[in-house]
Amino acid sequence: MEQPLLEINDLRVTFHTDDGTVHAVNGVSYSIDKGEVLGVVGESGCGKSVHALSIMRLIPIPPGKIEGGEVLFYGKDLLKLSLDDLRHVRGGQIAMVFQDPMTSLNPAYTVGYQIIEALTLHKRLDQNQARERSAELLSLVGIPEAKRRLDDYPHQFSGGMRQRAMIAMALSCEPSLLIADEPTTALDVTIQAQIVDLVKRLQSNYGMAVMWITHDLGVVAELAHKINVMYAGYIVERGHARDIFKRTRHPYTLGLLGSLPRLDEAPGTRLLSIPGLPPDLVDLPKGCPFVARCNYITDICLESMPPLESAGDNDHLVACWHWSAIAEGVAK
Amino acid sequence: MSAESDVLVKVQNLTKYFPIHKGILTQRHVGDVKAVDDVSFEIFRGETLGLVGETGCGKTTVGRTILRLYEPTSGHVFFEGSDLMSLNESGMRSFRKRMQMIFQDPYASLNPRMTVGSIIAAPLDVHGVPDGKGKNERIEELLDMVGLNPEFVNRYPHEFSGGQRQRIGIARALAVNPDLIICDEPISSLDVSIQAQVVNLLEDLQQQLGLTYLFIAHDLSMVRHISDRMAVMYLGKIMELADRNEIYLRPLHPYTQALMSAVPVPDPDVVENRHRVILEGDLPSPSNPPVGCNFNTRCPFVKDICLQEEPQYVELQPGHWVACHFADQNL
Repeated sequence: MEQPLLEINDLRVTFHTDDGTVHAVNGVSYSIDKGEVLGVVGESGCGKSVHALSIMRLIPIPPGKIEGGEVLFYGKDLLKLSLDDLRHVRGGQIAMVFQDPMTSLNPAYTVGYQIIEALTLHKRLDQNQARERSAELLSLVGIPEAKRRLDDYPHQFSGGMRQRAMIAMALSCEPSLLIADEPTTALDVTIQAQIVDLVKRLQSNYGMAVMWITHDLGVVAELAHKINVMYAGYIVERGHARDIFKRTRHPYTLGLLGSLPRLDEAPGTRLLSIPGLPPDLVDLPKGCPFVARCNYITDICLESMPPLESAGDNDHLVACWHWSAIAEGVAK
Repeated sequence: MSAESDVLVKVQNLTKYFPIHKGILTQRHVGDVKAVDDVSFEIFRGETLGLVGETGCGKTTVGRTILRLYEPTSGHVFFEGSDLMSLNESGMRSFRKRMQMIFQDPYASLNPRMTVGSIIAAPLDVHGVPDGKGKNERIEELLDMVGLNPEFVNRYPHEFSGGQRQRIGIARALAVNPDLIICDEPISSLDVSIQAQVVNLLEDLQQQLGLTYLFIAHDLSMVRHISDRMAVMYLGKIMELADRNEIYLRPLHPYTQALMSAVPVPDPDVVENRHRVILEGDLPSPSNPPVGCNFNTRCPFVKDICLQEEPQYVELQPGHWVACHFADQNL
C-alpha cells in the first residue's frame, strides 16, 4: 500500500494551567492519504484545533506540552524535526488557514507584501517574479483586479476577500496538505458557499490533501471524503463521509446530527438535543468521556474507555461499547 | 391568524439611518448608513416571526428600533395599536415591560459583577414583581423555568457555561411577564449541541407562556425550524416574507433562492442532488446602496429595469410578500 501523506500515531497533548493539567488531545491516531479531504468535526474544546496545531508544533510551549506520539509526514516525524527543518515544512509543504482572517493577516503590511514574503522565503523567487505570482494567485482565488489589490491593506478587503487572500497565501507554495481551521465560521452563508466551492475546485485541480476543521457537519457533508468526529480529545468515530451520516454508530455523532435543524424538515419537528455539557478536560471521567450525556450508558461505560475499533466494513471506526446496539437502532 | 385583532406588533415604513460625520471640528454630515430602509411587517400574537439575513443587512437594527433602543429616522411601530414612536419616556416604560430582548453574546450581556439573582432582579426592581409574589420567590421560579438550579442565585456569570448564561438572559427577559421577546441571534455563539437545548427551551416557554417571538438570526435552517413565518432581509430591506413552508417550497426572490441553496445540509444525498446557486461578490455597503433594486449587483437574473427602478414590496399571494420585479414569473 502506498505510504499515507500524514500519519498520526497516539498523539497526546496537555496544557499545564493553574487549575491542573488540561488533557486536550488524548491519544489520537489516523492517517490522511494524498489528495484526500478529511473533515474534523467537534465542538469547542474537543481538541480539534489543538491537535491540528500540534502537527506543526504551533501550540505555545509552555503551557502546552506534546506528551507523546508521532506525526509522520512523508514518513518523517515532525515532532522530532529541528526547528530549521520544520520551517521548510510550515507554510511550504503544509499550509494553514485560520478562522479569523482579520487577526491572521498583519494589518500593518499590504496583502501583496505578505504573500510575496512566503514566496521569496520558500520558493526563492526574486521580487518581480514573486509579485507576478502573487497577482496570479489572487486572481486564482477570485479577487478581481488582482494586480491592483496587491497594494491594498487587509482592512480594505471584506471578510470573504481576506479569507481568499489567506487561501492564496496558503496555496502560494503548492503545499501537499492544507489545514483549514474553521475557515468559514466567521463568514456569511453565501460567502461560505463561495469559499467551499473554491477549495473544492483547487483541491481537485492540484490534488492537494485538505484537513477541514469545523463544528458544522453541514459544511463537511459538502466536501469531505472522510470524517473524524472528536469529543474530549478523543476520536470517537471515523469513517467515510457517507457512513458517518448514513450509518452513524456513535451516540455523540447521532446527537450532533439530531441537534441540527434541517432545511427540509417537517413542521413540528423537535430537535434531539444532547443533555448536559462536555466534560471538564482537567478531570476527565474514568470510563468513556461521553457517559454523562449518553442514553446508552451501562456499567462498562463508567469503568473503561472503549477502544476505537472497527464497526464492520469500509474503514468505519467507532469508540463505543454499544455501537452494535446503536447500529440496530439506526437501521430501524 | 390574519385577523386585525391578532396583530401584536405592526411595523410601518420603519427607517433608521446612522449619520456619517467627517471632520474633527466641523462634523460635516457627509452621508448615511441606511441600516433599515422603509421596512413594514406585522407580528401576530403567539407566533414566531423569523428575521434572517447576512451580516450588516439591518436585522439587529430592526429589533432594536422596535424597542426604541435606537430612535428611528422615520416610521411607526404599533404595539396593540398604540404608536410607540409617539410616546414619551414614562409612556414608553409601561410598554417596555411587555417587550423584552435576549442578546447574542451571553458573555457581554450579563454584568460580571452582579450575581445571577441581582441580574434577574433588575427588571423586577424597575417594573415591579408581577402577580404580587415575593421577589426571591419569583427569581427562583424563573431559574427553575429555564432549567437552572434555583440554588445558583448567588453565583456570578463567570461560573456558568455559554449555554447556561443564555438561560440566565432568558430568565431575565421573562421576569416581567412580557408578551413579546426579541431574540437577537440568541444561539449563534453556542455550540451545536447546546444550541438545540436553548431552542427547545424557547419553544417550550412559548407554549407554556403564550409568548410571541421575533427571532433574529443568520442561520436559515434554525430560523426555519423555530419560526411560523420568515422574513428575509438584504441591505436594509425585506426582500421576501412568507409562511415557513411557503418560503421554503416556493421562494420567489432570487436572493432567498440563493440563500436557501447556500445552506450546508448535513446529508451527502441531498448535497449530490441539489442545484446550488453561488452568488458572486460581496454585500454592497449600506452607506452607498445600488440604484434600483438593492440586490442588482449580485442577482443572477438582473435586467435593465432592476438597475433603474426599485421594486415594490407587494403581497403577491395571500401572506406572501416579495420585492422583485420578476417575482410573479416565479409563481
